[in-house]
Amino acid sequence: MSTQSYNPFETAQHQFDHVADLLDLGQATRDLLRWPMREYHFSIPVRMDDGSVHIYRGFRVQHNDARGPGKGGIRFHPMETIDTVRALAVWMTWKCAVVDIPLGGSKGGVVCDPHNMSQREVEQLCRGWVRQVSRNVGPVLDVPAPDVMTNPQNMLWMLDEYEVIHGGKYPGFITGKPLSIGGSQGRKEATGYGVIFTVREALKDLKLKPQGVTASVQGFGNVAQYAVELLQQIGGTVVCVSSWDQGAKCAFSFRKKSGVSVEELRTITDPFGGIDRGKAQDLGYEVLQEDAWIEQDVDMLIPAALENQITRDNVGRIGKGVKLIAEAANGPTTSEADVALCARNMFVIPDFLANAGGVTCSYFEQVQSNMNYYWNKDEVFGKLDTTMTSAYHAVRETANKRKLTMREAAYVISISRVAQACKDRGWV
Amino acid sequence: MESLLAPFDRTFFDPSQRFKVIGTGSLGGKAHGLAVIQDILAMSWDNTSFPGIDVSIPSLTVIRTDVFDAFLTRNELHKIAYADEDDSYKAYAFQKAALPAEILGDLRALVEQVHTPLAVRSSSLLEDALSEPFAGVYETKMIPNNQPSVDERFRRLSEAVKFVYASTFFRSARDYVRATSHRTEDEKMAVILQEVVGSPVGDRFYPNVSGVARSYNFYAMGRARPEDGVVSLALGLGKTIVDGGKCWTYSPAYPTIAPPYRSSVELVKSTQSTFWAVNMGKPPAYDPINEREYLVEGTLQDAEEDGRLQYIASTYDPASDSRTPGTSRVGIRVLDFSMLLASRELPVNQLVRNILAVCAESVGAPLEAEFAMTFDPPRFGFLQARPMVVSQAEVTLTEADLRSDRTRIRSGTVLGNGIVDTISDIVYVKPEMFATTSTRAIADELADLNNVLTSSHRPYILIGFGRWGSADPFLGIPVAWGQISGAQAIVEASIPDLNIDFSQGSHFFHNLTSFHVSYFCIRSGGSDSIDWQWLQSQRIVNDRKFTRHITLPNPLTLKVDGRSGTGMVASHE
Repeated sequence: MSTQSYNPFETAQHQFDHVADLLDLGQATRDLLRWPMREYHFSIPVRMDDGSVHIYRGFRVQHNDARGPGKGGIRFHPMETIDTVRALAVWMTWKCAVVDIPLGGSKGGVVCDPHNMSQREVEQLCRGWVRQVSRNVGPVLDVPAPDVMTNPQNMLWMLDEYEVIHGGKYPGFITGKPLSIGGSQGRKEATGYGVIFTVREALKDLKLKPQGVTASVQGFGNVAQYAVELLQQIGGTVVCVSSWDQGAKCAFSFRKKSGVSVEELRTITDPFGGIDRGKAQDLGYEVLQEDAWIEQDVDMLIPAALENQITRDNVGRIGKGVKLIAEAANGPTTSEADVALCARNMFVIPDFLANAGGVTCSYFEQVQSNMNYYWNKDEVFGKLDTTMTSAYHAVRETANKRKLTMREAAYVISISRVAQACKDRGWV
Repeated sequence: MESLLAPFDRTFFDPSQRFKVIGTGSLGGKAHGLAVIQDILAMSWDNTSFPGIDVSIPSLTVIRTDVFDAFLTRNELHKIAYADEDDSYKAYAFQKAALPAEILGDLRALVEQVHTPLAVRSSSLLEDALSEPFAGVYETKMIPNNQPSVDERFRRLSEAVKFVYASTFFRSARDYVRATSHRTEDEKMAVILQEVVGSPVGDRFYPNVSGVARSYNFYAMGRARPEDGVVSLALGLGKTIVDGGKCWTYSPAYPTIAPPYRSSVELVKSTQSTFWAVNMGKPPAYDPINEREYLVEGTLQDAEEDGRLQYIASTYDPASDSRTPGTSRVGIRVLDFSMLLASRELPVNQLVRNILAVCAESVGAPLEAEFAMTFDPPRFGFLQARPMVVSQAEVTLTEADLRSDRTRIRSGTVLGNGIVDTISDIVYVKPEMFATTSTRAIADELADLNNVLTSSHRPYILIGFGRWGSADPFLGIPVAWGQISGAQAIVEASIPDLNIDFSQGSHFFHNLTSFHVSYFCIRSGGSDSIDWQWLQSQRIVNDRKFTRHITLPNPLTLKVDGRSGTGMVASHE
């Protein structure tokens, strides 16, 4: 799918319009929720290592904060556009609402390619971004987090800059911080584990036991690794994972019918989730072509890599035995493929429900940072599980009651919660 | 049977299914015993036989042993667990570790809906072995679970689970396992999360009555036959009984006959004077590795203020030297359960007899059961059940045996049955050094001697004063079973001026019978005797401040006739 022809914000608006019709929302509510409430567009001058000054374009979009402070990551990407950031801010609003955490939706970005920047230049960019919006973000306004090509170190620079400007310690300004400086236990596992908490509940609905259930997973990054880990811990078997090969510029699928071993694969995986093909073969894995993960004869698929991966072209190749798709990635299924999945009566856990474990744990980090008291892993995972499980059941119940797909039901819950908050505040 | 147990569906109080499980491993012995009882109650118990009384297993959820395995492996705790470190070091290491993520949602969901106290009990894999009972070896922790904050309740629950896990590797448990045919490495722990039967009064939560009932009585006296069984009752939590504290013990065939105390004063002194409850009040000092962190010990006056004595206490009037059932008169309260045992409205004794009979018949062996009751509403909750080992060998002891010059120990009240002629070592507490204030130090010395003797595979006879294994150091020597696990016979000499009822602590008692350890009670002033002079003339191997280990050139002969309850130990110079 070409990014030139695809406008994610238009997609987000279409999705909203469909659900607004289902909910019969009033015009004012529609007008409010179709667009972000606030957008900040700014320039960030950075003195480069060669002495020149480069001006970067930055954004912060706050879609809706009726339910609480905005929450959303900051992306550093050379192809960043305001419409991408807008769409992602909208989806953050719905994601926070579906798991019922008291946060709104935001997203930020900078048009840049960190691969071509030194650490000092990236630090200047991070600090520059905060200087531009420091009056409009903060623990009680809008809480940023890492996202595409930003990391915990970047968050720490941003926090430091924010604290210098505001003259105090505000660890709740930003999440995704290193564990040693205000991060939360369990953050790295949270998204993957959250996926499997919803999968576990879906298996109950499908009358399947986790013991003996088989899965194929696209991707082997952070989310995929922890999803595979927990699925295996509850008794499931993952027979195939795929990963991007930077050298070959394409992905490969790695299959072991007796079940892949996360521990084993981690030893031959680079920090970006790329599995070493040669070493994988040595360990007894079959190395298959890119799309092979989708064709496996398994009970469930977990796309945990990128958007637009299950498409009109490959949806027909999904194995006949597949009963469940858990969307661990954001937007892995195109709308055409989604229609085909519905026609097959496939049970789909939609992305913004399945992968909401990440933002839920970010919320936990924010809470801990604001009170400067930190929980142990037991507490984090206990809360994460009950939050995700409650959210799943609410969506499932709505889907059953209103005869909707899980995706429609998740949107219905989210949008109605946000609309209600706007109404309760007297905005509409 | 285990496959029929319902997985925990995040509903704890479910009248249709009170027994639920988390995980896929074994239930462990204790939980397995309860599953058997649940089955028996469902199949063989007539609910209409005692109308108005809820007879059941209190709601419980078992975390199976696979979770224990995952906890150890994922936190890399094996090295610390098997290291020769202090219990507190291990307990803290376990507290710092994370429970498996896949059960945390279940635990949190449980405390979100349950606001009453929970008992977090061990249920170990090796407890399944009938001949090696592991009774009282691992820790149980009661938590009030009444904090307003779900977070707080969740923390306390997860701490209690980790504490029970850690107790698998505590020194006393490892000593105990060493005395069996197993290794600590073979052990796995399931954990029972069980509703505490009871009701709140002020800052205390406790049952009206706890009890331990046995369908076979090794100490049968008077008209009672061993097959009549024996029941011990106590006010408050069952800890009083299982730890060997003072409680009321009677034959269910003759419930109104009091134990044979020599005088009313002795009876008053020997009956329960304090009780255990869950502390629902001000949080105590934070101490997650202390089993008693949330327990509080109350007095009879506390219980009377709580309105809990009227059916279970009598009033002693020193002037007339008489006991009057009830608490309507002024006087000294005596917990003799006389009104309860005579009650027709709440026929506790008949209920206990019927339940024991049904369960023992179903399992095909004598049975020991722990239970707790409330009166309002009337409720009988099964807490534990385990089969008893009863030896059938016939041993005959003649008068000549008992009167022989070489008979060094003689008793008319012996628990056990059989002949042993392979013991050449004796460990005894020096009579001249014994004091009730020194019993903890004595226990430490005995543990050291036990280590030496068990390491060299030398069984021994242990002689001491007062109630062995008592949790109360003033009633006897507070040893854990693992500290004397190498003893093949134990002798309990009475403490001068304090004639305490024999050991009935259920854990200790169960271990005795299951390990076939003979237990000699030496009553002062009768025909029972210990030849101290002979003991003190034997070759000393190890002389400690309070205790002494002697060894003999030839093995002793130990004979116990279980039918008559007589026994003797003879030497062969």
